[in-house]
Amino acid sequence: MTVGGLQGLVVLAVFVALMVGFLAVNQRWPAHFRRIPAFEALRQAIERAVEAGERVHVSLGTGSVIGPESAPALAGLAALTRIARATSISDRPVVVTTGDGAMAILARDSLRSTYQEVGASELYEPTSGRLLGATPLSYAAGLPAVLANERVSVHVLSGAFGVEAGLAADFGERAGLFVIGGSDDVQAQALFYAVAQHPLIGEEVFASGAYLEVGTMHTASLRAQDFVRFGLIVLILLGVIVRTLEGPL
Amino acid sequence: MKVLRLSAIWAALALGVGLFVLLGYFVDLGFIQNFRLTFLRWAVLLAAAALVVGLANLLAVHWRKVSLTEEGWIYSGVLILSFTVTLVLALVFRPDGQAALFIFNTFQLPLESSLMAVLAVSLLVAGFRLVNRRRDLLSLLFVGTALMVLLGTGPAPGGAEGPVVIALRDFRAWLSQVWAAGGARGILLGVALGATATGLRVLLAADRPYGS
Repeated sequence: MTVGGLQGLVVLAVFVALMVGFLAVNQRWPAHFRRIPAFEALRQAIERAVEAGERVHVSLGTGSVIGPESAPALAGLAALTRIARATSISDRPVVVTTGDGAMAILARDSLRSTYQEVGASELYEPTSGRLLGATPLSYAAGLPAVLANERVSVHVLSGAFGVEAGLAADFGERAGLFVIGGSDDVQAQALFYAVAQHPLIGEEVFASGAYLEVGTMHTASLRAQDFVRFGLIVLILLGVIVRTLEGPL
Repeated sequence: MKVLRLSAIWAALALGVGLFVLLGYFVDLGFIQNFRLTFLRWAVLLAAAALVVGLANLLAVHWRKVSLTEEGWIYSGVLILSFTVTLVLALVFRPDGQAALFIFNTFQLPLESSLMAVLAVSLLVAGFRLVNRRRDLLSLLFVGTALMVLLGTGPAPGGAEGPVVIALRDFRAWLSQVWAAGGARGILLGVALGATATGLRVLLAADRPYGS
């Protein structure tokens, strides 16, 4: 095993230990996260959509299940289970679209198991998790039809996006919908910031599970994330100081 | 009880396969690397099969629209027709044959290029909308930076070597190489941590995207 490999394993082990540790102390030491207005607005928008008999659309992006771009879509799937629960009392259940076949299957599985858990299996439709297009731009081109024909009022974008992020968010804005967008891609985040009403910046897209109260493990993992981040910041600052002091010598 | 047992089996499978693939990144042992590569090959095959399932699902959605003559059913009809023609031509004349290339170059490429053009217009409109909607320091900084980068990138009336052009070009380089690159690194650090946490939640079966 190389030194780099060992370091990677140690960091992962620390991460897992922190997640389990924070899970154990969650009752005694509850987490207090900073306010993210986009998630507060999303809760209200979902409540309004349920009351008005309108639909929530969740886009899981155009990234594949295989590869690092799957992470934001997996975070979106976790948020989807919470959104599906919240909208299970509505006449119009949530609709999910993606640009990847495997992700569409995972979306359908998540919807089916969530509806089973809340005793609303009749809400599940095999067409509620859809592949819209096999390429990023063909996916974006398919979005306006879904937003218009399904009576969507909340447009949630959580997944891997490239430049199509701008179009995907803009179609929602033009239709006057509530638009919230987050991605792991810096370019897509900039596009969401310019176009979407409620952009998620940085790793906020990964915090959706904790903020939407999907489960205690989401809260614990977010706390572990913050802990490791502070550790990294301290290490980077120490590195800068050491290099600066080394320079003139 | 049966459902519970099945869900435990899926979780155990996900955990086992995930652990081998993850270990393969860090541990350079032959059998772990072999398992990792085998699992990755299976994943690629399954993803290709899932694409076929996804396309069948896409057809089912649009077929229902046509059958029920729902709003916009005519577009669904066009999609089904285009899909069938493309599939038949690709199967008969091979996916990399002239017929498939003709369809790609004549229809898909121009359509996707025009969508990129739409994106440019959308971003311009979004820039104005952003200043109107969120009139705060960050939004003004965002739009101002975008303008400065555009000015530093595009051609200038005074020629490429004029003092104003050189100053704008240097300023753009300073913005993108110092501030933007620094900010992007910070964001990517957070994204990497978020992605790690998401992956570990799936490995620990706290998140079960395959259904619980």
